[in-house]
Amino acid sequence: MEIPLTELKEGETGVITRIEIGFGRGWRWGRGIRKRLADMGLTPGTKVTIIRSAPLNGPIEAHVRGYKLAIGRDIAERIFVEVQR
Amino acid sequence: MEKRIRVALAGNANVGKSVIFNQLTGLHQHIGNWPGKTVEKAEGELHFKGYTIEIIDLPGIYSLSTFSLEELISREYIINERPDVVINVVDASVLERNLFFTLQLMELEIPLIIALNQVDVAERKGIKIDYRRLEEILGVPTVPTIAIRGKGIHELLFKVIEGFEKGFRKPAPIKYGSEIETRIKMLEEALRGAGLSYPLRWAAIKILEGDEEVIKEVRRVRPEALTLAEKMAKEIEEIHGHPCPTVITSERYEVAGKIAREVQRILPTIKLPLSDKIDYLTTHKVYGYIIMAITILVTFYAVFGLGNFLSEVLTNVLYGYETIFVGILGSGLLRDLIWGGVIEGVIATITIALPYIVPFYLILYALEDSGYLARIAFLMDAFMHKIGLHGKAFIPLILGYGCNVPACLGCRIMETERERLIAGFLSTLIPCAARSVVILGLVGKYLGVEWALYLYVVDLAIVFIFGRIAFKVLPGEAMALIMEMPDYKTPHLKTVIKQTLFRLEEFLKIAFPVIVISGLIIKAMDLLNVLYIVSKIMSPVTVVWLGLPEILGVLLILGVLRKELTLILLATLLGSQNLHEHLTPLQMLTFSLIVMLYVPCVATIATCIKEFGWKKAMLIAVIEVFFAILLGGLFYRALMALEIFR
Repeated sequence: MEIPLTELKEGETGVITRIEIGFGRGWRWGRGIRKRLADMGLTPGTKVTIIRSAPLNGPIEAHVRGYKLAIGRDIAERIFVEVQR
Repeated sequence: MEKRIRVALAGNANVGKSVIFNQLTGLHQHIGNWPGKTVEKAEGELHFKGYTIEIIDLPGIYSLSTFSLEELISREYIINERPDVVINVVDASVLERNLFFTLQLMELEIPLIIALNQVDVAERKGIKIDYRRLEEILGVPTVPTIAIRGKGIHELLFKVIEGFEKGFRKPAPIKYGSEIETRIKMLEEALRGAGLSYPLRWAAIKILEGDEEVIKEVRRVRPEALTLAEKMAKEIEEIHGHPCPTVITSERYEVAGKIAREVQRILPTIKLPLSDKIDYLTTHKVYGYIIMAITILVTFYAVFGLGNFLSEVLTNVLYGYETIFVGILGSGLLRDLIWGGVIEGVIATITIALPYIVPFYLILYALEDSGYLARIAFLMDAFMHKIGLHGKAFIPLILGYGCNVPACLGCRIMETERERLIAGFLSTLIPCAARSVVILGLVGKYLGVEWALYLYVVDLAIVFIFGRIAFKVLPGEAMALIMEMPDYKTPHLKTVIKQTLFRLEEFLKIAFPVIVISGLIIKAMDLLNVLYIVSKIMSPVTVVWLGLPEILGVLLILGVLRKELTLILLATLLGSQNLHEHLTPLQMLTFSLIVMLYVPCVATIATCIKEFGWKKAMLIAVIEVFFAILLGGLFYRALMALEIFR
């Protein structure tokens, strides 16, 4: 099942299927942000484990490729993953 | 002839690159800016085995694309300046992401040495790396290092000399999937002989990735190659179902991951590292905020407690020279001009800026180096989003309550120039300690603390509104927080101190001339009695629009030098310490509001010039003067109409 990264619970892992940034509902961000996400290791097929999310709809912190990355909630909502349970 | 070797240090952020730089160069270094940019440039040199080795520390980056200024600067330096060798500092504990960057350096086809740093941290995390195997796979000399303890630094230098004497082997760039490889080859052919300054293969890959800078250059010399590249990018997108740039990045990461898995052994660790425990507490939804509040309070107390103390001591010492000075110059016009205009300005800088800037930088760099700043940004991101900025901007803004100068300088932690400018602009609207002196000393003292508090609330609302407007008006992509959360570590004291000292030097170079010249002009106006004429000219604004006594116009001009002067001189000008006998409550409120907003002081303007350039600094100053007057008048009329003070 494909869900946004923000809907994964703490400790859950998902595999990135697509990133809707630079088009569609993510039109507000340009290709620059999309490239940045890829450069930080968020590419299709990458495993992402949620560590925690900040209170008050804040960013999420995730384990990606052996390090910890904070992603703003608005961006994380546009990253879709297949849940691995 | 002297033998020189030019070395560049490159690598991700938070990998200990600047520590290696400091270990290598010691005191022989210079930190400045890249020409015309607000990006730090650190250079240094050392002598080793009869060679003079020049070292340049490139900014910490994650990729060689064009996302940030830092990335662009780094890659232009490597391509255009062609250092003899690049030392790629790699964090052994995050090998995969670091190798992703290494692979990009290899694609630039420059001689490379890898410093495999923080091998101790990696081992504590249960990661053991076979560096010889890594060396073999990449074809790049690799030296394991523990920079903070100086381990491996000598070996690194030996490798540099050895490579220089025997000739460096050019690393072999990685291979992509065959459907991409064939297209790269075809593009290389299409670009051959076009006279590009880049390696052919790299240029071919970059135009497939849609790299704006490379495309710009290719369009000039070989536009038909771009049409071909666009067609190919579409084909690749069809094959993979993802945009071509993503596919290429993805494959690069694939290779990095494969190499990382091949050279590292992961052992199970028994206990949770201390770093993770601190991480849990400092990002917790309750404890996190408590710890943050305490940290900020302690920082404030340290910066301003220490600052006030130092400031007082320095003031006493420096003003002690006044009598000697008078003795030399007599007490004529010349003395007034030089002492009152130049020296007072210099003293103001020394006693206001220095005592606060030094402790501020020490703490800021220590917090940044330890990894804590990233946690504050994480906790405050949701809140900062409301004013169009992301979490990292919280730190400079909060520091603005102490002094706008370090606040403005602190905006460098933002990634893009647009974010820096918005955060810098907003931080100049935060009432600093000097403005608080006026607010508390006038409104707080005569009208009660609650009125002073209202002014702070009004100010927050203004910051909020201006933030939204600036965010809408300034062109650029929407902001996004994409930030590494580095593991906690003990800050490297020597590096922190060095960064502080160089920042200080840089500030003084810009600030002194501006402060001295403007001080001289204002003093000359004062001595020639022009100030009173100016305040007459200003009277339609001060008296009619703002409802203030005419004489206060003089104060607003002098306040540009130091905001607290407005209060000190108010008593002098009115000839009385009982200000409430001369000013109505309404006038006090309006005056304080204007002082709070109308323009940052000279030192802050100088800082803005340094950070954002003349044009933007002037624009900020003009906007603030205009809005302060506009709001002051409206505020005055609104309170009048509400008949709050009768």
